[in-house]
Formats: sequence, C-alpha cells, structure tokens
Amino acid sequence: MARLGIVVKDALPRAAMARTVVGNTFRYLFFGAARNWFRNIGSIAPALGSMTLLLLMAGVAGLTGFAINNLEQVESAQASLLHVYIRDGAPSADISSLWDRLAADPRVANVVLVTKAEALQRAQSIPGLPQIASASDSNPFPASLDVQVKSIDDMASIAALVRTDTAVDPVNPSSYDKGAYQRIQTVIFGIAVAGLAFLAVLAFVAVTVTINSVRAAIHSRRDEVTIMQLVGAPRWMVRGPFVVEGAITGALAGAAAGLATFGLTMAGISAGTDTFARFAPGITFSVAAIAGVIVLATGVGLGSGSSLVSVRRHLES
Amino acid sequence: MFPAVLRPIVEFKGVTRAYGSRLALDDISLSLEPGDLTFLVGPSGAGKTTFLKLINRELRPTKGEVWVDGVAAHSLKASRVADLRRRVGVVFQDYKLLPRLTAKENVAFGLQVGDLRISDAEAMDRALDALEAVGLGDRGSSFPNQLSGGQQQRVAVARAMITQPRVLIADEPTGNLDMETAWQIMALLENVATFGTTVLVATHNVEIVRRLQRRILTLVEGRLVRDQPAGGIGRMEWLASASS
Repeated sequence: MARLGIVVKDALPRAAMARTVVGNTFRYLFFGAARNWFRNIGSIAPALGSMTLLLLMAGVAGLTGFAINNLEQVESAQASLLHVYIRDGAPSADISSLWDRLAADPRVANVVLVTKAEALQRAQSIPGLPQIASASDSNPFPASLDVQVKSIDDMASIAALVRTDTAVDPVNPSSYDKGAYQRIQTVIFGIAVAGLAFLAVLAFVAVTVTINSVRAAIHSRRDEVTIMQLVGAPRWMVRGPFVVEGAITGALAGAAAGLATFGLTMAGISAGTDTFARFAPGITFSVAAIAGVIVLATGVGLGSGSSLVSVRRHLES
Repeated sequence: MFPAVLRPIVEFKGVTRAYGSRLALDDISLSLEPGDLTFLVGPSGAGKTTFLKLINRELRPTKGEVWVDGVAAHSLKASRVADLRRRVGVVFQDYKLLPRLTAKENVAFGLQVGDLRISDAEAMDRALDALEAVGLGDRGSSFPNQLSGGQQQRVAVARAMITQPRVLIADEPTGNLDMETAWQIMALLENVATFGTTVLVATHNVEIVRRLQRRILTLVEGRLVRDQPAGGIGRMEWLASASS
C-alpha cells in the first residue's frame, strides 16, 4: 500500500500567488455558485417562482402607487383652480379692477382671463359639453377669471371675496364647491392608505415567502454546509456561494418580473394613450423602464439577503 | 526540522460537558502525544462522540479546558474555528463526502477551503496523490455514489489527510464496513500515525482494538474509567463488556 507523505513544493511568486488567490476566490464564489445553482434548480424552483410572482405584484403595485400620487397632484392642482364667472355685459373696468384685486392678493398664485369664446372652445374638448353648446344659438359659457389659489384651504375665502363683486355673475359666482374638494381628498387619502397597506402586506409576504423558500432550499443542503464547516471552510466561504446563489435566483426572478412589469406597462400605454395618461398620469416609457430596473435590483437584494439570513441558521456559533 | 518543545497535541484538563442536566463527559483529564494512535472505546452513550466533537470544537466544554495543538479550543471564537479545523482531520462513520463532487474534487476541496493560494491544478495533483496513497488513484473521477463504502471511507481519509493535520479524529470509521475493509482502513490510519499525526479512533470494534494493541481510553457514562497504555495489554476481557 502506498504511504501518505508530505508534499513539498516551491512557493509561487507573489504576483502568481495573488492571481491564484483572486482566481480561486472568483471561481469558488461565482463559478461554484453558478454550478450549484444549476445543480440545485429543483429545490430552487419554488423560491424562483414565488419571488417572480411577488416581485411582479410589487412592481405593478409600485407603479400604481406612483400613478395615484401623480393623480392626486393633478387633482389637487385642478381643485385649487377657482373659476370666477364674469357677468355677461360686465364693464371692462370692473373686470380689470377685480383682476387687479385678485392678482394683488398674496393667497393667489396667478389670474388668467378666459373669454367666452375661449370658454366655448375649452368646453368642446370636454365630453358631453359640445352637445350643450350646440343646443343653444348663443354661447352659453361665461367668461371667467381663472384664479390659481396657492393653498387649497384659501379657496373658500377667495370665493367669498369675489361673490359680491359687481363684475361677477350673481347667480353662479364661481366654481367653488365646498364638498367637492373634501370628497376628492377623502377618496385619494383612502386610496393612498389602502395602497400603502397593500404594499406593506405585499412586502411582508414577499420577504416571508422568499426567506422560507430559500431557507427550504438551503435546508435541503444542510449536510453540505456541515461538511464544509467540518473540513475547515471559513465562514465567508460557506456563506458566500449561497449568497451568490440567492443573488442569481433573485436576479432571474427580478429580471422576469421587471420585464413583465415593463411589458405590461408598455402594453397599457400603447393600448390607450389618452385614457392611460388620464388615469395613470406620469407613467411613461422611462418610468416603466426605471420600475423594471428597481424590480430587478429588489430581486437581487431580496435573494441574496434571504440566503444570507437562511444560511446563518446553519452556521455554527 | 524538529519542534522546539514536544508538547501534547491534544490536552483535556478537567473537562465536563453536560446536555441539560445529563453529564456526557465528567471531569476528563488526559493528553495525546504526537504520533499516537489511540482508541476511544465505550458503550453507546458513553460520551465518545462528545469527546471527539470537543477536539474539533463542534462543541464547547461546560467546564474545563481543551487544548489542540496549542489552541484553546474551549474558548475559541466561532470566527476562528476554521483555523482549528484545518489542524484537525476528521473521518466519519458515514463518510460525509459531498455527493455532487467527484472523489478527487472532494479531496481537493478539503485542501482548497483552507488555503486559497493553492491553484486548482496543484490541488487536483495533490488530491490525486492522496487518492493514490489510499489506493484509489484510478477512481478520482468517480462520484461517491459510484464507490463502495470502503472506497468512500478511503476518500474521506485522503480528504482528512491532505492538509497534513496535526490530529486526525475518526468516529466509528469502520462502523459501516466489513471486516476486511475495516482492516484496510485501520492500516491506513496506522500509516498516518507513523508520519507523526496523532490519531484518535472511536470504535466499537473490539477485534481491531485487541489486535492492534495501542493505547485505549475507555469511557463509561461520561467518565474515563481506564487509560490502557499501548503494548503488553495481555488479557482484555473487560474490553468486550466496555464496548458493547
């Protein structure tokens, strides 16, 4: 029988040694992790599937939240625009006087005069109003001073200020509707709270499901972790490949979910540009692409983080 | 080159290990010298595996000190355990080979996890040398499930020895093997000891212990009841009862 002996070899030159160390580290961490990933695809598949689904939901929910936020800003801007209707036949001097008073008011951002002709033209672009316009021989839409109020809370006082002005229509002095703004705010606040709650629940479910799936995959390889530790592998060497494997899983799930998020958004945009822009303002090609990248990055973080947490449970203390 | 001071490679000083209220080891003090081949015997539950796990720092003692090659294993931080493990080769009853690696890769793995300065080519060369030393030079490309139990155990011995550890601990290394293969494994372990590695073998195999006539540590209910020096053992009727 052959005898076990000591192998004595010359030391490598420093540069060659550095290359070997770097090469071994890279090979061990990345190539080894990739090889293990393919070998363990069966145990990883559930984690990959659940991560993809949850990341897709998170991506769509995130974009929806972004659109709702934009919608709220649009609605708020519209709600803080007060139309002060000018009485038919009101003298120019009175209109100018009213304009000056409003423009000088520190609560007002700006004032724009909309003539009757402009009001008619604007009405024709709003669904339903062209029929009203055509039903009458004369232009039924009044001229107005469109007052952009800085704070929505000052709407009531500005409306009260102009109500008795001689230039203002005494029957229908302004567009101010006390309940409208509150209703809008209530609805948007409700949607925002529901959206945040949904995102929080989704994030919790995503993290929990992912960690459990990854943990199950690592648990099935606990012998491997044990053996590595018993033969003297340092902790980083035990953890590293699992973290890289997790990152690969997360990256693939993130890429699939990111592409799906991007694809769904682009499909929505191209299917109905005007409608989509009205109900989901601010969602553009760039925003969809950024959302896809964020979903990808979240997947990488979620996968590697889950692996790190899961493999720690199998490390000796 | 000779060591400046000849000190015990493994030293237990008043070591007690408890699992809850049950004492697995009770106030053990002993030392193992370089090149010793020592058997650790005793009935199931006597504390043999606990003893070995204390050397490898899989466990910490509840009380006392465990020194391995000058390293205080009893107080070693988790982050430093890998350093200790590279001084201690381990052979298990169930081999514990990585199933997705070939025999050669398993042996090389034992080498490279401890030293990233070793190139892949060199690791494979040395793994092949180690496999040839255990008589498996032609099975380097085989996966563990393509090898017999005895062959897998030889691979495990090669993996344990490739880092030239100061200590080799073997927990029932012949437990799953037939007698002929068990003798081959024991011959390998004897060979390892002749090169100065301290070898500690926990076993139930009375026949092997009796015939090799090496030092025998007998544990019963966690206590060291006998420390029989090597050679001139004479009649060992006590051994059969202690190992059953």
